[in-house]
Amino acid sequence: MLRLAWRNVWRNRRRSLITVSSLGFGLAAIMFGQSLIKTLQAQLVEKATGSITGHLQVQHRSIKDYKFPDRYLERPERVEAALRGHPGIAAYGKRIHVTGLVSTPVGSVGALVCAVEPDKERRITTMAGHITRGSYFEEGACRKGGRSSERGRSPSTEGARGIVMGEKLAQRLDLRVGEKAVVMAQASDGSMGAGAFKLVGLYRTGSTAFDSQLVYIPLAAAQELLAVEGKVNHIVAKLRDVREADRVKRELAENLGAERDLQVLSWKDIDHEIVGIQRYQDGLLTVVLAVVFLIVALGILNTLLMSLFERVREFGVLMAVGARPAWVMKLVLIEAACLGFIGSALGLGVGSAIIAYYGRWGLALPLGDAISYFMPFPSVVFLRPAWASHLGAGLCVMAVSFLAALAPALRAGRLRPAEALRHV
Amino acid sequence: MSEPLIEVRGVSKVYDGNSKVAAVNSLSLEFHAGEFSAIAGPSGSGKTTLLNIIGTLDRPTHGEVRYEGRRVSHLSREEAANFRLRSLGFVFQAYNLIPVLTAVENVEYPLVLQGAPKGERRSRALETLAWVGLEQFASRRPDHLSGGQQQRVAVARSIVHRPMVVLADEPTANLDSKTAASLLDLMEALNRERGVTFLFSSHDSAVLSRARRTVHMRDGKLMP
Repeated sequence: MLRLAWRNVWRNRRRSLITVSSLGFGLAAIMFGQSLIKTLQAQLVEKATGSITGHLQVQHRSIKDYKFPDRYLERPERVEAALRGHPGIAAYGKRIHVTGLVSTPVGSVGALVCAVEPDKERRITTMAGHITRGSYFEEGACRKGGRSSERGRSPSTEGARGIVMGEKLAQRLDLRVGEKAVVMAQASDGSMGAGAFKLVGLYRTGSTAFDSQLVYIPLAAAQELLAVEGKVNHIVAKLRDVREADRVKRELAENLGAERDLQVLSWKDIDHEIVGIQRYQDGLLTVVLAVVFLIVALGILNTLLMSLFERVREFGVLMAVGARPAWVMKLVLIEAACLGFIGSALGLGVGSAIIAYYGRWGLALPLGDAISYFMPFPSVVFLRPAWASHLGAGLCVMAVSFLAALAPALRAGRLRPAEALRHV
Repeated sequence: MSEPLIEVRGVSKVYDGNSKVAAVNSLSLEFHAGEFSAIAGPSGSGKTTLLNIIGTLDRPTHGEVRYEGRRVSHLSREEAANFRLRSLGFVFQAYNLIPVLTAVENVEYPLVLQGAPKGERRSRALETLAWVGLEQFASRRPDHLSGGQQQRVAVARSIVHRPMVVLADEPTANLDSKTAASLLDLMEALNRERGVTFLFSSHDSAVLSRARRTVHMRDGKLMP
């Protein structure tokens, strides 16, 4: 039967080639779309988590706006102990994020002041890799600095009083590496903390938001500036595998269960808009897939119906010779399966080649410029295969081919031999 | 006299269109094993309808058909297919070979449907092709065979599974007289030497003269 079905498929070579080509290129288009969306999604997550969010954060339980944790954690070392003991954690570091004002004689600009432990932060985010001038703090910069508040105390060391900022912000403040700026922020006691920081590094991420609104200072200096000795407002962790975020979050929450003032958050909780974007893209992709599958189904249906009408008499002969109705139905279904299989194989081949090409040479995407306003994001996307999705799409094409063949198969099976033999 | 192989009892076939048309009308007759018989009549006389009913390709509106006493005219579609597969062979006017299969593959197809082992069905198909003198054309597809050769392949296909009877609907209608005579020679030889029962329809007097028994039909009825 397989031999007969296979030969029947190639009986009208041109029509079958058109059908399998439409199947194949439809699948290749689906694969391209899947790869593009999944690559963008993966890059969004990588860039968001790699730039600032990290994979997991531990914050005070009362905090609702996870992006701006405004409550401090007492005794962060208990969290550090839990993070240190978990095998899924690759790196972690304490942080304080606070809004502040950066001033020079030229003017003042509002900024998000990110106080970090530079040595640890290097292992968590990629900001150190964006430095264009100076450095991302020097070794030992995380040592305690000095609070130069209204009391006007001067910094203890230069390294500890360093500040790193984006090129655009430095430009607005007319600040160069080696020059000083004053950072002001409201301290926990309600007073206004202010300190002079020497610009030690400039970065350029390509993101307007990052390059003009974020400054980095050492954590110890920030703690003194804000009068929060030994406190932080979140602890960030990088995982060995970001896909394990939910599991590690759950386990850490269990480990820290006794600490009722803490909450463990994954990047999905903090950058929930990215999850929303992913859901929107997945939804869009599903609609596109449904449309493509519908076109595929109509193509197969058309081919099989044409083939059926051309071969009514032949089906009559087969039935006269002794083929049962179920056998005739099976023959039509196998023909459809052959078309589906060839189309899927062609699609997987062409789709893989396209993905491999754009994986090697990159795809210039204007979308990258739009996204990079909010976070560092490349304007050239290097496609990555999403094999599970691609194979799923290939199986769907085969399944759709099969389902589309049900109606013609039923019709063939219901033919009455005497009537079929009279068919001209 | 032996029991009849085929009994047709009071068979009618009425087609419901704008008006009811009786293609076959209250017809009864019998055929015995080993016969080489013809159903004669002009176009529209009901020959093909009668052969279709005898061959379980169509159901009678009234009456019944029996083979060796077994009622087959009201079998389900599946049962009728099984019956045809085991017991009947068909030869059609337009040859009706499967164009994508070679001559030997066409001949072995009933055996494929029967589930015969590959080696056995191929050897039987080749042997049957040899009976009809076409063993050297075994690997040719129908479009590379003449009309007469195609009809010989069709005859080989109809007998390869050793049916009780071969039903041939105007088997020579598309052939020239020489080729038609040659095909009838073959059918006669198969009947005489291998005991194949043939029941065929025709309106050609030259063909009908070869039958050992002829029943005449007109307007769906038997003529005396």
